[in-house]
Amino acid sequence: MSKTLHWLRSTLAHFNKGGDEQREWGISRNQIPPRLPLLKGGMVRALLCFVLTIFCGLQIAIADTPQLPPNLQWQTNDTDPIFADLHAKRGGRFRTYTMEFPSTLRIVGPDSNNQFTSFLQSNILSLVGRHPNTLNPIPELATSWAFDPDGKTIYFKLDHDARWSDGVPVTADDYLFTLEFMRSKFIVDPFSNDYYTNIIASVIKFDDYTIAVRGVTAKPDLELLFGLAISPTPRHFHKLNEHWVDDYNWRIEPNTGAYQISEIKKGKYIEFKRKADWWGNDKRFFQYRFNPDYLRIKLIRDLNMQYNYFAKGELDVADSDLFKIPRFWYKRAQGEPYEKGYIGKIQFYNDVPRVPFGMYLNEDDPLLADRNTRLGLAYAINFEKLIKTILRGDYDRLQNTSEGYGDYTNPNVRARPYDLEQADHYFKQAGWTKRGPDGIRIKDDQRLSVRVTYVSPEQTSYLVLLKEEAYKAGVELSLQQLDASTWGRQLGEKKHQIVWMGFGIGGLAPEYWQQYHSDNAHKPQTNNVTNTDNKAIDAKINAYRAATDKPSRVKLAHEIEQLLYEQGGFIPGYKKPFFREAFWRWIKLPPAYGTRISDSLFGTGAGAGGLFWIDEDEKAKVQKARILGEKFPPINILDETWRVKPQ
Amino acid sequence: MRWFKLNPIRLNPITRRRWTRFCSIKRGYYSMWVLGTLIALSLCAELLINHRALIVHYEGNLYFPTYGAVLSGKTFGLDYDYEVNYKALQKNFAENNNSNWVLLPPIPFDAYETDLVKDDYPPFAPSSQHWLGTDTTGRDIVARIVYGFRIAIAFSVVLMLFEYLIGITIGCLMGYWGGAFDLVFQRLIEIWSNIPTLYVIMIVASIVPPGFWTLLLIMIAFSWTNMTWYMRTASYRENSRDYVLAARAIGASGPRIIFRHILPNSISTVVTFIPFSVAAGVTALTALDYLGFGLPAPTPSWGELLKQGTDNLESPWIVTSVVVAMTLVLMLVTFIGEAIREAFDPKVFHTYE
Repeated sequence: MSKTLHWLRSTLAHFNKGGDEQREWGISRNQIPPRLPLLKGGMVRALLCFVLTIFCGLQIAIADTPQLPPNLQWQTNDTDPIFADLHAKRGGRFRTYTMEFPSTLRIVGPDSNNQFTSFLQSNILSLVGRHPNTLNPIPELATSWAFDPDGKTIYFKLDHDARWSDGVPVTADDYLFTLEFMRSKFIVDPFSNDYYTNIIASVIKFDDYTIAVRGVTAKPDLELLFGLAISPTPRHFHKLNEHWVDDYNWRIEPNTGAYQISEIKKGKYIEFKRKADWWGNDKRFFQYRFNPDYLRIKLIRDLNMQYNYFAKGELDVADSDLFKIPRFWYKRAQGEPYEKGYIGKIQFYNDVPRVPFGMYLNEDDPLLADRNTRLGLAYAINFEKLIKTILRGDYDRLQNTSEGYGDYTNPNVRARPYDLEQADHYFKQAGWTKRGPDGIRIKDDQRLSVRVTYVSPEQTSYLVLLKEEAYKAGVELSLQQLDASTWGRQLGEKKHQIVWMGFGIGGLAPEYWQQYHSDNAHKPQTNNVTNTDNKAIDAKINAYRAATDKPSRVKLAHEIEQLLYEQGGFIPGYKKPFFREAFWRWIKLPPAYGTRISDSLFGTGAGAGGLFWIDEDEKAKVQKARILGEKFPPINILDETWRVKPQ
Repeated sequence: MRWFKLNPIRLNPITRRRWTRFCSIKRGYYSMWVLGTLIALSLCAELLINHRALIVHYEGNLYFPTYGAVLSGKTFGLDYDYEVNYKALQKNFAENNNSNWVLLPPIPFDAYETDLVKDDYPPFAPSSQHWLGTDTTGRDIVARIVYGFRIAIAFSVVLMLFEYLIGITIGCLMGYWGGAFDLVFQRLIEIWSNIPTLYVIMIVASIVPPGFWTLLLIMIAFSWTNMTWYMRTASYRENSRDYVLAARAIGASGPRIIFRHILPNSISTVVTFIPFSVAAGVTALTALDYLGFGLPAPTPSWGELLKQGTDNLESPWIVTSVVVAMTLVLMLVTFIGEAIREAFDPKVFHTYE
């Protein structure tokens, strides 16, 4: 997930909390053991084990020790191809940047949704991962897994080699602790509290290295597997009490990934060091990866400065976050270092679910309650021109709310194009027949003026163009740029008219309930920002959520998509099918450069990251050549392996 | 100068002497005329820089679209309902060779209009069409600067008026009444003026998105204090003078003493501050816009242009234009300010030992 997406997801995360209704299962929150007395070492652990034994016993409501069901079909994956570079060399220091110095090193709780969190998340492994090319499950902390016929439960055999960074083995208790930890009030994280209550029902320990995770609702196998593949939490490290948030702000939590923080210079940089004897070194899907010995993440708050640092050779790469802004790619990434081959450029197409970015119309607003007005608006927004001009044709028009989900995506639902005649037709049906002296349509002395709320100042120029085009249809878009917190509050209270945004994405299949079910309409703090309240859509979404086999889910998803199109609450915007990056010549990439789901070639995430490596000999050569002015063959890569051709 | 001489009775001799003195300081005097002209021109900017035509002659009728309602394409026999594109209309009329014609302003773009070229991407470099080029959205920089100037000047003049109204009133009363009122307000102002305005604006901006008037209100609320100190001192001084005592002795009322005696005699302090206050207002608004806490997009603003310029240093015309414009205006204002201060200085000659 790119940093932007991460931000989007985190910004939106807090809207999830009011969504799910409370259900009864497993253990309720008040059953969580009260604060432990502050005793030291073994005493605490003994007590903790004791309490947890009782607590697990309650939780699964099975007498004594739970037994594994017989006839489980254990699965693993040791056949899918290795996607790392077999020639990768270890070593070197990789220098990259962050725009925001973290205000905490916690990954949950207040302020933990900052940009730097993604570097911490990269080293937090889950039970299973997803092969970035075949998309099959692959082992991470579990060696094998088995599905229960109930469609809600998955059994995992844990890897005996897995170690925390302080050398303590990762065992079943750490997974049980995850549930206790994430449900705790002390972490002050409503989103995690909610997820580990309303998605994850319980964790069951069979022995130190065998567990089961049970979800709340039944789902098709793979969707269930990735939904329930939780991460362990080091129980020997945390003392959960009301001071946890403050006490753990700057404590470095043991992790299971390849890197751990080794140095923090507040306000300057944070350095990660690779673990010398990392337990995953020889695992099939971890070998040849995470090659640099050190990752130095420098704080550079300004985009221009970031590029300047890179151009001077003080950063190794300029990543997709920078080059998603066209001017950097077209105007800055030019000239001598590129022509002489010191710096390489790559444009890489990927195949991932696309952020549903565009305009969300609040159907509770009196003006937008009329479906004809909404459809008129959809025909009055000229995304085609925006893409062709200011966005330099780099982006494609987004067609519907769930693109990039493979079979689940309905290819027949296409976004409404800019069409003044159609706009006029629908506006007239809604009664906006006359135009006022300023050229804006009027009805009963009311002007057809709608407020568009957004956050990023970079997007002002996009909206200015759309505003001018919409004016031709007799609509006024009044632009309201808000800072993120005001925006979040307005959205949470559903006081917006039109909001210009994208939702966080993930998973294998689109999720409709949060955003389009009437359960979440007309109430604050839910993801149904359009306030869609349509009985037909509700029925389909309920059926979609209840269905467990893929074909019927796909069919329902297509039907829902069609209904959403007719509802007209969302005007699809644009999507970016690729990313662009630049790197100094000494940074080496595998032959395939990246993977199907890469969103950067220079990330270090467990999923598809850590494939690049640093060639120190080449670095010396390039440094020398820069002084002597020598040339190398230029590197200009366009990779379309995973390109999904626009339909 | 001649104009003033026509009404010599209305100006008292001191004022006249000050005016003559001001006129003799050429730098300030000419700056005043230049700035005055710029402001006057910006007030009728619609006639000079506008996407609407000045005059359209169509089928024997004359249209003056500049200030009126929107004229749709259908008015001129075109097939669309939205506002007619006058530049296209001009071309259209010229091609058809009929008696219809369009007179466009010298710069036929307004501050909001995006002018995009096929197969090229904004910002566009200066050209015969866009004298100073365009910004990142393809809007004409001359138009943005002129309309931005108008808003900035209007903002700072209104800001100054209210600032002085409150500042002078309270300062005057503090000096005139003295005692507990003075003491309480002194402390209040000391506390109040220590609140950092910028942070307040940031906080307010996170609650209500700022507009022209909200921004003005906040700025007024925090900047009136500056003037109180000067006025307090001035009225304290005047209050203890014999002529005020004499006025009081013959039974003049408080308001009469303040308005007839104290204010006219202390106003010279105020006048010398005016140009600098205007400059401060312009700078403050620009700074706020630069930081993104100013007027909402797409209002033309220097701060926003400056931000674009520094973000796009590879398109130097953006930053150059706005920096030159700003330096010029602030320089003019400062020259005027200097000259006024000089003119109001009771000492004509200084001797340094």
